[in-house]
Amino acid sequence: MMDEEKRLSSKKNILFSIVSVAFLCILLFPLYWALITSLKTEQEIFQNPPTFYPHVVNTKSYAAQVETGDFNMFRSFGNSFLISVGATVIAVLLAVPASYGIAKYHFKARKVMLLSFLVTQMLPVSVLLTPMFIMFKNMHVYNTWVAAVLADATIGIPFSVLILKNYFASIPKDLEEAAYLDGCNKFSAFVRILIPIAKPGVMVCAIFSFLYAWGDLAYGMTFILDQEKRPITAGIFNFMGQYGTKWSYLTAFAVVTIIPVALIFIFMQKYIVSGMTSGAVKG
Amino acid sequence: MAKLKKFFRYENVGLLFVLPAFLYMLVFVGYPIIRNIILSFQDVNAGNLVRGTKNFILFDNYLELFKDSVFTTSLWNTLRYTVLCLVFQFVIGFALALFFSQRFALAKPVRGILLVPWMIPVTVTALMFKLLFATDIGVINFILRSLHLIDQNIEWLTTPGTAMFALICANVWIGIPFNMILISTGLTTIPKELYESASIDGAGKVQTFWKITLPLLKPTIESVLILGFIYTFKVYDLVYVMTSGGPVNSTHMLSTYSYKLSFEMFKYSKGSAVANVLLVILLIVGVFYIKATTEGEEE
Amino acid sequence: MKKRKITALLTALTMTAGILAGCGGTGNDAAAPAAPAADNAPAAQESSKEESGGEAASGGEAQAITIWYYWETEGHQVALDQVIQEYNGSQSQYEVTAKYVPFADFKKQLSIGASADELPDIAILDSPDHASYVEMGIFEDLTGKFDVSNYYEGTVNSCTVDGKLYGVPFGANCLALYYNEDMLTAAGCSVPTTWDELKETAKALTTDSVTGLALCSVQNEEGTFNFVPWLWSTGATSYDINNENGIRALTFIQDLINEGVMSKECINWTQGDVMNQFISGNVAMMENGPWQIPTMQSEAPDLNWKVTLIPKDAEYASVLGGENYAVINGGNVDGALDFLTYATSEEKVKFLMDKFGYISADKNIAGSQFAADSPYQPFVEELNYAMPRGPLAEWPSVSDAISLAFNQVITGTATPEDAAADAQATIDGIVK
Repeated sequence: MMDEEKRLSSKKNILFSIVSVAFLCILLFPLYWALITSLKTEQEIFQNPPTFYPHVVNTKSYAAQVETGDFNMFRSFGNSFLISVGATVIAVLLAVPASYGIAKYHFKARKVMLLSFLVTQMLPVSVLLTPMFIMFKNMHVYNTWVAAVLADATIGIPFSVLILKNYFASIPKDLEEAAYLDGCNKFSAFVRILIPIAKPGVMVCAIFSFLYAWGDLAYGMTFILDQEKRPITAGIFNFMGQYGTKWSYLTAFAVVTIIPVALIFIFMQKYIVSGMTSGAVKG
Repeated sequence: MAKLKKFFRYENVGLLFVLPAFLYMLVFVGYPIIRNIILSFQDVNAGNLVRGTKNFILFDNYLELFKDSVFTTSLWNTLRYTVLCLVFQFVIGFALALFFSQRFALAKPVRGILLVPWMIPVTVTALMFKLLFATDIGVINFILRSLHLIDQNIEWLTTPGTAMFALICANVWIGIPFNMILISTGLTTIPKELYESASIDGAGKVQTFWKITLPLLKPTIESVLILGFIYTFKVYDLVYVMTSGGPVNSTHMLSTYSYKLSFEMFKYSKGSAVANVLLVILLIVGVFYIKATTEGEEE
Repeated sequence: MKKRKITALLTALTMTAGILAGCGGTGNDAAAPAAPAADNAPAAQESSKEESGGEAASGGEAQAITIWYYWETEGHQVALDQVIQEYNGSQSQYEVTAKYVPFADFKKQLSIGASADELPDIAILDSPDHASYVEMGIFEDLTGKFDVSNYYEGTVNSCTVDGKLYGVPFGANCLALYYNEDMLTAAGCSVPTTWDELKETAKALTTDSVTGLALCSVQNEEGTFNFVPWLWSTGATSYDINNENGIRALTFIQDLINEGVMSKECINWTQGDVMNQFISGNVAMMENGPWQIPTMQSEAPDLNWKVTLIPKDAEYASVLGGENYAVINGGNVDGALDFLTYATSEEKVKFLMDKFGYISADKNIAGSQFAADSPYQPFVEELNYAMPRGPLAEWPSVSDAISLAFNQVITGTATPEDAAADAQATIDGIVK
């Protein structure tokens, strides 16, 4: 049905595509710069004027990513993946019903609840780290990936609630009523009818929760002490610090941290992009 | 039991949906909030963090803060940084969302790739921008020079005003995909029929945008802005890595200053007080947000 | 050690049934299979990780000693680990493990750990921070337990509070002036020894692509570390800046910037970045420490550089750097002391210093540590002029005021006079 709807004329199609690629180039220029910097030698990086492609290709920086001291890239990837998936699962499982409740029911404490979801994401890390640390220690999860999962989920939950509540609010009431007529109760209507309709929104929340957890450094560093359990972001410390910022290593690190996530996204593009943006709500 | 059942019969059943998430947040973030408030009224530093008595000195920390020029700079910095970032990333993100809602061949793949800035850990992004904005080896100066827009290299990160600009650029870069995707998702909730009937009624594109798109997108826009506000307002990693608050404290934000006081200077209570100021400002913004959003619904 | 049990329990839970079964064989309480699994999991995990062989496994009761350190350089980590392994192999009572906590996170992790009572048994920390943690009360009094009489006075001072010794210096370093000999020769300059000569030389060396001098000027402890030699050289102290001497130091640095012989970018360069600029040939002279030497030798083997004393104003001055060992008072103190006694023996100190590019804090060892033509030798000489920062529990606040003052004059946001007055006001508020 998408194709039947007004498609752009081929002239416009080409024009828009060119413009979009131009946008892409501008926005992704920093990434291109990171990529070529990672392939330069340190001398070339410090060369003035800068070079727009590596004149001497240097892959040493990539070899350094695999294992530096205690840091093992593949293991760190595994840790990050585990932590991010865990945080995403918690965030989605808790946030989807919560946002539905806030969107569809006008119960008494509603405003307070909504405000509390806002407030809970307002604290800067500097004040969260110590109390969370003490809590995780008492829960006996300090220095395990569980601590990072629990902490990272606190970023994803309020975010997802605020985004998804609009989504549920935009679903027409008649859909639910039709479900009740079919013999659904409030909970089964939610599970069978509303969640599938809200799929794009859920998808977005899952993605954002995943990415928040993936990019987290403070929690992973503070609550996990063993290098072999730390997330991939911790690796950044191997390439900056008192011995100087090694740009080639650092940009290579940026490139390798992006690649797997980018691959997952490209691989799941069909589900993600269409899930997010295909008009799911039909009035 | 019967009472409970009765309580949850109508609208209050919504509470059951919300409670698990609420309790989760209460457990993990509620305690830090309370601890932080208590700490900010005490006089905790290196000497009495572990042993010794912690005295309550009430508002002394706060009074001291308002005499501290780094604090007032941080406060002002945080406000202008947040507002400027928000304006740019929202406008650009919105424009891109509208642009990519057109059905041209590359719309979907390109939009997907545009998400990539979001996948990079912020610390890495910050370092990348630090490299781009470097004075002598930075490519931004090189491009500006090549275009003859400047004669001499701009010392981006070592001059107070331009350092803030560089920070804003980096944050806007991260924020654009964030705004674009959320608004794109919001756009999908607008029924196509509305646009069709509008075009039958002879409404122009601009008119449709103001009359249909914007009003129907209001909840999304509100959420995007409030979330954007919160995440920008408590920015930490980006500033810490790019400028560490420098040059000469000119880019300190409330969050970075709080962190510095707590973990570098051992002034735990003062650091907490800074964080609480941040919290109070966000709380006020949050209350306004709730008021604005729930008002519309009650109609 | 409660924490170990918990980690062990979690490890046991997440590990596969195979390991549980394997541990079950050694279990003595059949009714509770989880308990022996929890007890044995760490041993199994550690022995597989560290290949320490039969010692740990047969002992079974080796007490765990944890060390926190912040060196991210692989060479440093390997060297420390080697000493630890040798120690673990030499006795069966203790099992030492070292954990890397990044430098940027180290103070935070110690603070949080102190609040949560979750600290290692030994910390190897940056010497200027030592006094703050002594004030916090987390370090054990080591007075009389180590013979530090041969150590450089400054290094011992950095871990001494109220006449009590709260740590053992790990190693010493200080700052000196590196110069690119080829550039100096090409410009026909001789090695500068005074500030005036330094300025003239820097001018002569500055070209379109090269700046004469660089020193790390970031606004934090690292920057202070690099500023105080200039301050102290005038006769000013860390606590007394708003006078002719303090202002002269600030003015000198400002002149270097204004005359274009030092780049303003220095405020964003860590000491490592400064070194990178130096070996890339963008900078002709730099203030830096001996720990850069191994990296410089491996990354730029052809670069022709030498080290000399930091040029002086009134007197030669440098700053003392390096780490101290500290024993945490709530931890396994006996074990920590046992390991420290081992690690501070002459043989081990020599080994570590050699691998680290550090100078021993022990004068006797330092005196014979390097050959006369070694690039490290000037640092040994410079060490005679090196003074410690602090020791003062509020040193971080004093340091902040000093680095701010220098940053103000470098960026031109304040005159040397105003910067000195501001800094003095802050410092007076701290040091009453």
